[in-house]
Amino acid sequence: MSLFGTNTGFGSGGTGVFGSTTTDSHNPMKDVEVTSPPDDSISCLAFSPPTMPGNFLIGGSWANDVRCWEVQDNGQTVPKAQQMHTGPVLDVCWSDDGSKVFTASCDKTAKMWDLNSNQTIQIAQHEGPIRTIHWIKAPNYSCVMTGSWDKTLKFWDTRSPNPMMSLQMPERCYCADVVYPMAVVATAERGLIVYQLENQPSEFRRIESPLKHQHRCVAIFKDKQSKPTGFALGSIEGRVAIHYINPPNPAKDNFTFKCHRSNGTNTATPQDIYAVNAISFHPVHGTLATVGSDGRFSFWDKDARTKLKTSEQLDQPITACCFNNNGNIFAYASSYDWSKGHEYYNPQKKNYIFLRNAAEELKPRNKK
Amino acid sequence: MGRKKKKQMKPWCWYCNRDFDDEKILIQHQKAKHFKCHICHKKLYTGPGLAIHCMQVHKETIDGVPNAIPGRTDIELEIYGMEGIPEKDVEERRRVLEQKTQDNQKKKQQDDSDEDDDDEEAGPSFQQPVTTVQPQGAYVPMTQPGMAPVPAPGMPLGSYSGMPPMMPGVPPMMPGMLPVMPRMPPGMMPMSGMMPPTHGMPPMMPGMPPGLPPHMGHHPGIPHMAQAPPTSTRPAVPATTVSTPQPSVSKPLFPSAGQVQQAGSGVAVSSSAPPSAAPKPTFPAYTQSSATAAANTSSTVAKPGTPVTSKPATLTTTSATSKLIHPDEDISLEELRAQLPRYQCKIPSAGQAHVTSPPVAPMGGVLPPQQGIPAQQPGVRHPMQGPYGALPQGVPGYVPGGMPPYGQAPPMVPPFQAAPPRPTIGMRPPVMSPGGRY
Repeated sequence: MSLFGTNTGFGSGGTGVFGSTTTDSHNPMKDVEVTSPPDDSISCLAFSPPTMPGNFLIGGSWANDVRCWEVQDNGQTVPKAQQMHTGPVLDVCWSDDGSKVFTASCDKTAKMWDLNSNQTIQIAQHEGPIRTIHWIKAPNYSCVMTGSWDKTLKFWDTRSPNPMMSLQMPERCYCADVVYPMAVVATAERGLIVYQLENQPSEFRRIESPLKHQHRCVAIFKDKQSKPTGFALGSIEGRVAIHYINPPNPAKDNFTFKCHRSNGTNTATPQDIYAVNAISFHPVHGTLATVGSDGRFSFWDKDARTKLKTSEQLDQPITACCFNNNGNIFAYASSYDWSKGHEYYNPQKKNYIFLRNAAEELKPRNKK
Repeated sequence: MGRKKKKQMKPWCWYCNRDFDDEKILIQHQKAKHFKCHICHKKLYTGPGLAIHCMQVHKETIDGVPNAIPGRTDIELEIYGMEGIPEKDVEERRRVLEQKTQDNQKKKQQDDSDEDDDDEEAGPSFQQPVTTVQPQGAYVPMTQPGMAPVPAPGMPLGSYSGMPPMMPGVPPMMPGMLPVMPRMPPGMMPMSGMMPPTHGMPPMMPGMPPGLPPHMGHHPGIPHMAQAPPTSTRPAVPATTVSTPQPSVSKPLFPSAGQVQQAGSGVAVSSSAPPSAAPKPTFPAYTQSSATAAANTSSTVAKPGTPVTSKPATLTTTSATSKLIHPDEDISLEELRAQLPRYQCKIPSAGQAHVTSPPVAPMGGVLPPQQGIPAQQPGVRHPMQGPYGALPQGVPGYVPGGMPPYGQAPPMVPPFQAAPPRPTIGMRPPVMSPGGRY
């Protein structure tokens, strides 16, 4: 049932096929493979919100498409639909009610995909590729936030062609996250800005970066009362900073940790340091997952400051990850991220999205 | 605090075997005695850091760590405080300490019962393995988790990272605060660091408005040590503090937080929660300003193995010990990739671009797309109708905000049709074909 335009691989039926190749390095963790993966690198993944029954996964790719799969309880994935942009898709997000998907692309537009009717309309326009897109649901307004390489952050009411608001950023937007009423945007040149979204979005604070290298990914975490209280910021230098917005003791509470590096303790050979491509927080446990260019994912407990698990190494970098709404599923995408430049790109190489049961492995360790 | 103790021994300096009460003092000592450049007196953070500095800045090589005892002069070893000390030296130190305590005990006991036992000397050595195993056993688990060893350098790192946001704020406080800082001799470090339980000496910090009693928790500690200066700063202090008691502030945005933030931002941005919230005894300004005094530099922290990035154009990626797996240009991977011709935006050909078939499936209709037939749904508000070859690419003519169709497809489309921006337009095969990408 090749739902999608074409399939280079599986496509015969919607069953999750386990790695059928002889070498297992493409799926050393033996996780469930999503069927009909995109034909080029996957840039972003997003699971449906709890307001919808079931689990639906959206993935955007460098093949200009956005695909939707239904993930069934038995682990089977069923391709459902696909939409296209005219340029690579860099970010996707769901509306809070699960009826719409927003997609952002290098073609400088963002679209709203109504899943019920399977129609898309353009809802945003920038002067440069749109790198991030997030849905904001506030008590007194709802809108889509887009961050672009044109150094602006725009807010769109989907019914109007003009942005409700446009905020200037110091540099190109590299990554962002939103957990109402807080939004964090990390830009080029290690810029870091926190916005508050109550009443209307406004810049809250510019923070001097806790990291010394290019920012790559950011994810907001919440406190025990489910209020956003800080964020995790990943850089290209195999390091993640945990930063609280208003900590009682910044010197002690904020910290960074190294990750996604090769040969940890062996000092004889130079250590390879990989970029952290994405960070996701488990919606229930508050622990986090990081995925890197080294082709591994790791789970961490930021409160106990310990590592929970590191995966085996996949043969390709892991470019995106996300948890489903109840934290039972961890999805991660294995595809080339350009970390070694143009030379290592192989268009024939298959891209994968894997699903892993995340219920147990992300439980926090007991504090010692 | 929240972490298991990684070492049960008091911090000591690997280079000269001196003991210290606190790792912070140890680090200060190392920076001042062992990692200080003899040419320009700049304090580096590690041995290799010093070597690199001398080479790059002064074009001079150094062959050993200054002021180190023989056998401990290795300039290549990356030691920072208690981090990076070779395990065998740690053990040796422990043994030596054990021996000292044994010797002390022996002298006290003067027990003759073991005279005939020629294991008298072996005794301590038996015990040593026993005692050393345990701490080692305790040590190991902490090194296992990838994060654990890092927090130690990470802690001071954390303090630096906490600082930078502070730094911009500090100057505003300076006028009054400045006099305060120099009053803090290095010995003060532990005091501020440990946040002495209130000395309850508000009078010691004259001029500080009563609104900040909790902050006083720190201040008293300071004048406590250096008696003379406080009086002289009295007049200066009120000047600065005037700004702090500002009422409101920008929304207590993030409820969980509240309290005093970096005092600097508290003044400049006035975002700290005002009178309310029993602010904790820790006065971030002091923690950080003391950290400043100690750290001597603001945000730069060179951590083991990672080179500092240089400016925009390229990254400094390699060092002897590590290599960043990232292209040299300091732009994001996505930007680099998007520059390639193969990823330039294309105009879809007729009927290929979007799925517009009516819903069918139960799920509320998310349906397999098939060749969309634009004609089917004229009202679809699709800028990308095939026949028009529309291309909402934000072409300068089209404008930011000049948005395409919201229920008015026909009128909107023609403008797009007008000037497809790219030369490669329209010729491209539909994206959906497999690898049919160029």
